[in-house]
Amino acid sequence: MTSSPRLRALIVDDEDLARRLIREYLQGHDDIEIAGECDNGLDAVKQIGALSPDLVFLDIQMPRLTGLEVLELTGRRAGVIFTTAYDEHAIKAFELHAVDYLLKPFSKARFDDALARARTLHAPAAPAAGAGLDALVARRTAPLERILIRDREQVHVVPIDQVECIEAQGDYLAIHAEGKCHLKPQRISEIEEQLDATRFLRVHRSFIISLAHLQAIERPGPDRHAARLRSGKRVPISRSGYEKLRTLV
Amino acid sequence: MHPILADPRRLLWYELAWLAAGVGIAALLRLTGQAEWSGALEFALPICLVWSFVAVSSYYVCRSLPWSQRRWPVALGLFGGVSLLAALGWLGLGEAWDSLGGLLLRGKPFVALSSPGWVMYFAAGFALYLLSLLAHDVLVAFESVQAAARREAESRVLARDAELQMLRTQINPHFLFNSLNSISALTGFDPAAAREMTVDLAQFFRRTLALAERERITLGEEVALCGHFLAIEKRRFGAKLQADLQVSAEAAACLLPPMTLQPLLENAIKHGIRQVDGGGTIAVDARVADGMLHIAVVNPVAADDAPPNAHGVGLRNIRERLAVLYGPRARIVWQRSPAQFAIEIHLPVDKESGA
Repeated sequence: MTSSPRLRALIVDDEDLARRLIREYLQGHDDIEIAGECDNGLDAVKQIGALSPDLVFLDIQMPRLTGLEVLELTGRRAGVIFTTAYDEHAIKAFELHAVDYLLKPFSKARFDDALARARTLHAPAAPAAGAGLDALVARRTAPLERILIRDREQVHVVPIDQVECIEAQGDYLAIHAEGKCHLKPQRISEIEEQLDATRFLRVHRSFIISLAHLQAIERPGPDRHAARLRSGKRVPISRSGYEKLRTLV
Repeated sequence: MHPILADPRRLLWYELAWLAAGVGIAALLRLTGQAEWSGALEFALPICLVWSFVAVSSYYVCRSLPWSQRRWPVALGLFGGVSLLAALGWLGLGEAWDSLGGLLLRGKPFVALSSPGWVMYFAAGFALYLLSLLAHDVLVAFESVQAAARREAESRVLARDAELQMLRTQINPHFLFNSLNSISALTGFDPAAAREMTVDLAQFFRRTLALAERERITLGEEVALCGHFLAIEKRRFGAKLQADLQVSAEAAACLLPPMTLQPLLENAIKHGIRQVDGGGTIAVDARVADGMLHIAVVNPVAADDAPPNAHGVGLRNIRERLAVLYGPRARIVWQRSPAQFAIEIHLPVDKESGA
């Protein structure tokens, strides 16, 4: 172990005692250095960006942003050890995607175990560790209640009922809400899966609309349809989108 | 048990109805010139009285064909057949009473009907029994509607009791496991604090279990329970969590359902204090005024974090519980301003009798 480089760890938990316990457990591991601590999700997003730690101890239930939302915003996949006291949904998802997690309270032996696993995954020849987490973050407790957008150091939280439509623009999504447009790097098919299918509909290859914001369906030409939203914005509707819309409305 | 025989008032009306039928038959006999008034009455009234007790059997006929599984051809056949059979018995009774009773009491038959007279009498017996069947049918239907309503009310009460029980013994796993984690952390550097926290946790659960068994506890007992709860949460959240409990002596003696205040504090921490950078103070104020117990809980909330119904489920549960126990006499109102959440409960004052 002495030959390998020191790993830098970030501890994220809103309870001081919980962070303190992890600090104590880490004392015996000379190859790990504590790079920082955070007591909320927003701070964690910033610190992960600023410090790019090798390891993140991440609590799931936190103020501001949950652990999974932190991962979504930072794109961080490898080197994450979740900690949670009790979260049935999250634990089911962890099991499903073979993601390691620590159940509070955890023993030193269990902690060392998780650490050892994280070390092997961090080694240069490690297998792709992010696959399970990728799926986990993409499929996290649907349906989505709010959309998070990271804009440099800022995080915007857009409640889902404010979203009127989502437009695919290259590698980005343009999320239209309350007269503003937020850009987020995500595929439209991925967010389509996360949205509540009774409230949002993919009406076009590049458009998802909120049914609550739909005001009228217009027919600008033969065999062509468009949705007029409450804000006045017009969104094209494809033929298959029109069929889906007709069965719903 | 037969619904008419079991109830003296119903029995009285039932017999009066049969006596009226007896008068009716006597009138029929008189009007058709079959008999004189006195003879006709002496003949018909005793028969109707006796027959009323035979006719109660129609209740069981009706019960044998419940409305829900009744097919009309079968029902008509059964009712007609039974009425016919009953009318035969009625005819036999009439003949026997006319000759024997008349012979014993008067030395001659009461009415000595002609053949058409007996046919008329027979038809009246058939009609009376059929009428009795229909009347009983209505009675059975009425009873089953009442029974259904009663069953529904009972099941509502049972469901409510089960729900209350569930609410009371509900142990919040988040709270338990996080507290154990804090104790685990404390053992490393402050064993005395770890011990205190263990005791608080044990006391909290012990009191919760003990109090949940009871219908009503004093606010003072609930506040003691909340004291242990807050001691644990203060260890977890440190300086972020402050609490200011103002409970007047009069308020502390008031009775209320267990676990009324504690969930409010739990909400205040979970949705309030915990989300606010730097935390804040939960203010509890309990007092008695105008014959009502007023409990107010106020806590800061994070301005930007506004999931509109985060408090929802827990508060609705409390509201429903109080509505069940107090009806319109209890009031619970809450209000959220940008930086603060305030909830007030108003209950009628209820004190331990004799204490």
